Amino acid sequence: MRYIRLILFVLVVLVVMAIPLALVLARTYFLSPTAQPVKAQPIQFPHQVHVQAIGLDCTYCHRNATTSAQATLPALELCMQCHKIIPSQGRPELEKLVAAFQQNQPILWNKVHQLPDHTHFVHSVHLSFGFQCSTCHGDVGAMGKPGVKQVRDLRMGDCITCHQQNGARTDCSVCHY
Amino acid sequence: MPRWGMVIDLDRCIGCGACVVACQAENNVPINTEDVYHQRRAIAWIRLERYWEGEFPNVKARYIPVPCMQCTNAPCEPVCPVYATYHTTEGINMQVYNRCIGTRYCSINCHWHVRFFNFWEPKWPDSLKNQLNPDVTVRSRGVMEKCNFCVHRIVKAEQKAKVEGRALRTDEVTTACAQACPTNAIVFGDLDDPNSAVSQLLAQAEREHRVYRLLEDLGTEPNVYYLKKVDVEATATAAEAH
Repeated sequence: MRYIRLILFVLVVLVVMAIPLALVLARTYFLSPTAQPVKAQPIQFPHQVHVQAIGLDCTYCHRNATTSAQATLPALELCMQCHKIIPSQGRPELEKLVAAFQQNQPILWNKVHQLPDHTHFVHSVHLSFGFQCSTCHGDVGAMGKPGVKQVRDLRMGDCITCHQQNGARTDCSVCHY
Repeated sequence: MPRWGMVIDLDRCIGCGACVVACQAENNVPINTEDVYHQRRAIAWIRLERYWEGEFPNVKARYIPVPCMQCTNAPCEPVCPVYATYHTTEGINMQVYNRCIGTRYCSINCHWHVRFFNFWEPKWPDSLKNQLNPDVTVRSRGVMEKCNFCVHRIVKAEQKAKVEGRALRTDEVTTACAQACPTNAIVFGDLDDPNSAVSQLLAQAEREHRVYRLLEDLGTEPNVYYLKKVDVEATATAAEAH
């Protein structure tokens, strides 16, 4: 009984120290982009069907990847080039697409690959140096119904490591401006 | 590796303010209201200073556009506790918004008052929301910002040159202020390239003894050069007085 106050004190200190530690750990876990669940999309777009079954190239739909900073999502007109002859009756996801096209409404996709704030990434430069889309985006062609998942960290440490390995510039102003 | 610099010919400057507007539009600089000016919190990466010279009947307006001087020994850089302001290898004094924690030491240490603090979230009227430049970050509340010689244009041109497998051409890049200047008073380019417009302009003006830099005696080696006004009347009056 002599040491009960000391033991209590140590326990309280440990609990108090554990709270911020747990917070920090939880924060790193929840902020890690690869640990996030698959984002819900307005249409469950299966990349698998388009890439593996039909054999489309990434740049068939993401047309500006080789020429500009943004890879860009295709306009509905591009989807409808094929889908106007593909029957959509009884297929709810396709019905959503046709309905959006007929009502002249864009589809508000949710952005999957989020870069940190105040950062600029240019697709065309990376592709012109021979990097494959899958280097950063993973095997999107094998990703099916629920949607695309981010497979790479894509935070500053990830970018810098790759830049150093490939002899690219690591000056702040290359990405932050 | 280029060394970016700017030459501002005050003999050509007519004080129209096109550079200020161009910069404001290019770099997503918020619109300053009258209140903001009274609080001395206006943000203008390049500003036009106006001076009156002479007595009433013979009064003359003098204009000096003042962007960031991009000092080689910049006084703003060593005071930053988080290295948010640093010098690129191309001689530009950059501000990294992610790092900035808003101590404002740099703006206190800048003798030209060309660093600006975002005291509030930037606001634009609804009619201007769609004109924001996607190449430039919109700075949030609590960070410093400053002229960076339109570094997004430089980066874009360098990336284009890289993709095409060539070096940057002479005078391929220009800043928004230089592009907008109707009298070509502002010229931007590579100071190390003898064929660039800035180098040639400097070499010529050097022979005419017109080159100076703002607060040059502080020894910070600014990279913005001014060419002084050629005032024929003043020279004539001075000659008469002698």
